[in-house]
Amino acid sequence: MSDNELKTAAVKPLIWLRRAVQTGMLAVLGQWSFYGIFRCPFPVPFVDCKACPVITCWGRVTSLFWGFWLVLPISVLLFGRAFCGWLCPGGLVNQLIGKMSLFKLRIRNRFTGFAAWGLFAGLAASLVLWLYLGNPRWMVPIRAGEFWNSVRLSFEHATPFWLVRTFVVLGLVAAGFLVANLWCRFACPTGGLLELFRRFSLFRVFKTGACNDCDDCLKVCEMGTRPDEVNCTNCADCLGSCPIDAIKVGRKRV
Amino acid sequence: MGNKKCSMDRRAFLKTAAAAALTASLAPQRLAAGQFKADTLQVWSCGGLSEAFNLANSQFESKTGVRIAYTGAFAAALGKSLLGGATTEVFAGRVLKLAKTLREKDKMAYFRPLCFTEYVMVTPKGNAAGIKTLEDLTRHGVRVILPLGASPPGGDAVTGILKKAGIEKTVLANMTERETCVVKMMPAIIGGKGDVSIVEKRLTRMAAHEGKVEVIPIPEKFFPPGPLTFTIGTMNAATDRALADHYVDFICSREAQAIFERQGFIPADSDKGRMLIEKLGVKDV
Repeated sequence: MSDNELKTAAVKPLIWLRRAVQTGMLAVLGQWSFYGIFRCPFPVPFVDCKACPVITCWGRVTSLFWGFWLVLPISVLLFGRAFCGWLCPGGLVNQLIGKMSLFKLRIRNRFTGFAAWGLFAGLAASLVLWLYLGNPRWMVPIRAGEFWNSVRLSFEHATPFWLVRTFVVLGLVAAGFLVANLWCRFACPTGGLLELFRRFSLFRVFKTGACNDCDDCLKVCEMGTRPDEVNCTNCADCLGSCPIDAIKVGRKRV
Repeated sequence: MGNKKCSMDRRAFLKTAAAAALTASLAPQRLAAGQFKADTLQVWSCGGLSEAFNLANSQFESKTGVRIAYTGAFAAALGKSLLGGATTEVFAGRVLKLAKTLREKDKMAYFRPLCFTEYVMVTPKGNAAGIKTLEDLTRHGVRVILPLGASPPGGDAVTGILKKAGIEKTVLANMTERETCVVKMMPAIIGGKGDVSIVEKRLTRMAAHEGKVEVIPIPEKFFPPGPLTFTIGTMNAATDRALADHYVDFICSREAQAIFERQGFIPADSDKGRMLIEKLGVKDV
């Protein structure tokens, strides 16, 4: 067994651990995420849950709302965008779609650099809708109801604005079949928010000065990036990929 | 020997008693569920009734063992779906005309009066602006938040009240926020971002709002009649007519009506309710 094969084998349990954590978080946050996309009557989900007319949403009936908005800032200060790679149910869905995508786009070029600004465009649009326009109600809320019946009614009685918002989100997620993780890499407003603060995190996966830009790490990254660069979620999938052992995890000494 | 026989008898007695107790505890559910063909009933209602229906449905389910598949949303939207081909087994809608239309279009077998809503003014605790009557909303400097962008029972009805009171223009000049959702608006009043708003009384009975605002009645003469009435009826699409009728009977019973009263509605079987039934003509065609 070569050195690289040994390193890859050593990282495998970590990858399985991440999948297990993601699956667990799907059980915890999945229903809330589902409501956010399909049943939230407001354009920006997850921010007005406690004053929402949809009485069966997990963001309203559980303490998830407060827990989420407490844990998210702590997680970004500790581990950067680890929420995206380890905890977000949407991230898991996008990564699974990414497994089937036509283009992995694990390259560094002008397009991938420019497209990442889409994260901040998504964030800016969300902030305008939420803070400036007051997150107006765009859909007849199905206050209580069965799973599919409520989704059907939501689409049936939504305003064109809500339909555009929802189809844009679903369309960008579906575009993940073409370009791997397109939503998470180039559009997600939450990802954009975390990206702003990622650089201040205490712990991270990072490249040492020994990095020779071979981009082997890029080739194994679902987000099509390199350690500690834009879109790095500290997922740690790349830990075994470096031929010269220039990827470390922990506190980065500058 | 005698002792042994006695012991055997006691054991047999205990077994029989345990079996009888178990049967008795299961009997009401089994009997009720067994008397109907279906074990699930689909119920749609106006979204404003959701809190009350959730509580009433739990009681019905525990009494009968029948599962209620419940959806609560803006009644006009649900009505549009029903008229457009969607089906449900029991429908409790707002606005008498909708129930009559469903009857005329042969969608609904019959309807009965369920309850009525009423509108109130709400202010932050302490009512610092000293709001006592609708006229006070016209005073200079009073910050009025109105849900005019909400669905008609929350938005248009409020405009109707102001128009009937002849103060619409002056109050709108005092409006500091135009909300699109009555539920989302309440924290703004609770938190003192506005001095007063007009909402259905039911909003003040929601767990998140109860006891956190001052509630000031509005004279009934200003209420627009349309959104006041809620009816309930069995739909022709009901797969088990007996079950649907039994459910409607339960919701109209004193036991369930008490839930609606607690949630801020005027029950149809109350004195006030009976007066409103006559006044608003809430009778099946």
